[in-house]
Amino acid sequence: MIERWALVSGLRGDLETYDLIQRDLKKTRGVTSLFVLGDLVGPERNCDALLDRLKNPHRGDLKPDCIYGWWEEQLLAERGFRGERKADALRLSQGEDVVNALLNTVNPSNLNWLASLQFGFIELDCALIHGSSSDVGDNLTSETSPLILLDRLTRLNVNRLFTARSTKQFHLELTGGGINSQVKDLNGKREQQQEVPKRSVIGIGAGLNYTLYDVGSDKTHFLTAGSKTNPKRKGFA
Amino acid sequence: MNHAIISCLHANLPAAEAVLNDIDRQGIDTITCLGDLVGYGPQPNEVVELIRKRDIATCQGCWDEDIIDGLNACECSYPSQLAERRGHLAHQWTDDQLTDENKSFLASLPTSLRRDRLLFVHGSPNSQHEYLLPDMDAFAALERVETAGADILFCGHTHQPYVRELRDGSIRVRLQNADHDCDQGEELTLPMRKIVNAGSVGEPRHGSTNATYVIHNDATDEVEIKEVPYDVGQTCQAIVEAGLPKVFAWRLSHGFEFAEQAEDASHVCER
Repeated sequence: MIERWALVSGLRGDLETYDLIQRDLKKTRGVTSLFVLGDLVGPERNCDALLDRLKNPHRGDLKPDCIYGWWEEQLLAERGFRGERKADALRLSQGEDVVNALLNTVNPSNLNWLASLQFGFIELDCALIHGSSSDVGDNLTSETSPLILLDRLTRLNVNRLFTARSTKQFHLELTGGGINSQVKDLNGKREQQQEVPKRSVIGIGAGLNYTLYDVGSDKTHFLTAGSKTNPKRKGFA
Repeated sequence: MNHAIISCLHANLPAAEAVLNDIDRQGIDTITCLGDLVGYGPQPNEVVELIRKRDIATCQGCWDEDIIDGLNACECSYPSQLAERRGHLAHQWTDDQLTDENKSFLASLPTSLRRDRLLFVHGSPNSQHEYLLPDMDAFAALERVETAGADILFCGHTHQPYVRELRDGSIRVRLQNADHDCDQGEELTLPMRKIVNAGSVGEPRHGSTNATYVIHNDATDEVEIKEVPYDVGQTCQAIVEAGLPKVFAWRLSHGFEFAEQAEDASHVCER
């Protein structure tokens, strides 16, 4: 095994869940990296303890590499870190009370750290993003049109896109197909054929549901923290 | 019925007049303009007023947007430092020249126009700043048209006229998820769609100095790319006299196909 990544998202301030995942990872062979793909915060509970743990890992913790997600985007927008934009998407979908609740879950001293988080990571030929290359709120699922999934992969020129926004766990592989096109301009006509590249979009889950990815074998394992599930039973090549 | 689509007039009055005369001569009443009325050229007020006077349905281009909202595009807008400097100079000059009334008109323009299955935009349905080049990834091109819910997408921005038909497409997928250990394979058949780029009236970059536009027949879906000669020297002289960068006149006099454009056409400007 060359490398094994753990991919986590949607903790939303839940330190207990994060602790369970860390305990799982300690017992799992070969995990080399932990990526937290956003939604570290949420409106349900105070998030400062989790943020402190992510910033200052305990001895023995796998050190997390974090990016921001949709909930951080809403919080930072409302707190003035996104220019003139506010938490309009949250306000529209869940109302003013949830906006206020979110503001109260994070100590202002943590805002600069949240604002320093990146939109995503490119590692090897993989993109690790909360939503997609289009938007942090892009909700990609296994039901999303493959044409849209291919577009999101193409924009980044990667072979695998790990996404978290939908909270679902799935591995959708583009296995074939093609398209013909004809371009006519003032120089005449020309035909083009293009094949679908073999690429994948992987939904990593949220909260207790997380994903392991074996880089060398390109296998994904969908897991639930604290359960007795053997990773081999849910490994997908 | 034939209708004409024009784009990227870029404050070039002789070119705009020549193209509109050419359309009039063919008895075409319906004209749609895909924006960029201003920028680079020396007659921004005159061109905006011509479009207003003719009451031509127009969507907002990237230059029109920048004049109203200020220069806040990301680094994708310019391929080099010098190009950026020239662009900023032209922006400031245009901003100084335009009347408040004409700025209000530019601000009022929609980012897209739709007539049944036809969609009209400046760059792409995503952004006035996105380039849909003729050889871009075919699936990404199809996604732009399909996601926008159109059969034919009319755009400009590249200053290169073309018609691209996307057909016989399919994507096969295999799905695995946490609930199913077995594979689920399926094939999606993609619809046939078309992208029509109207080129540029006022700053052609297709290798000729002629202004370009397109005529579409909405009964047969036939598209004709039209070239119209005009007095290029007159506009070049006006550019120099206005104090705009002389390179704008030089490339106008060459129809230079390698003129400034973002190198990464797949990049979406994150404004």
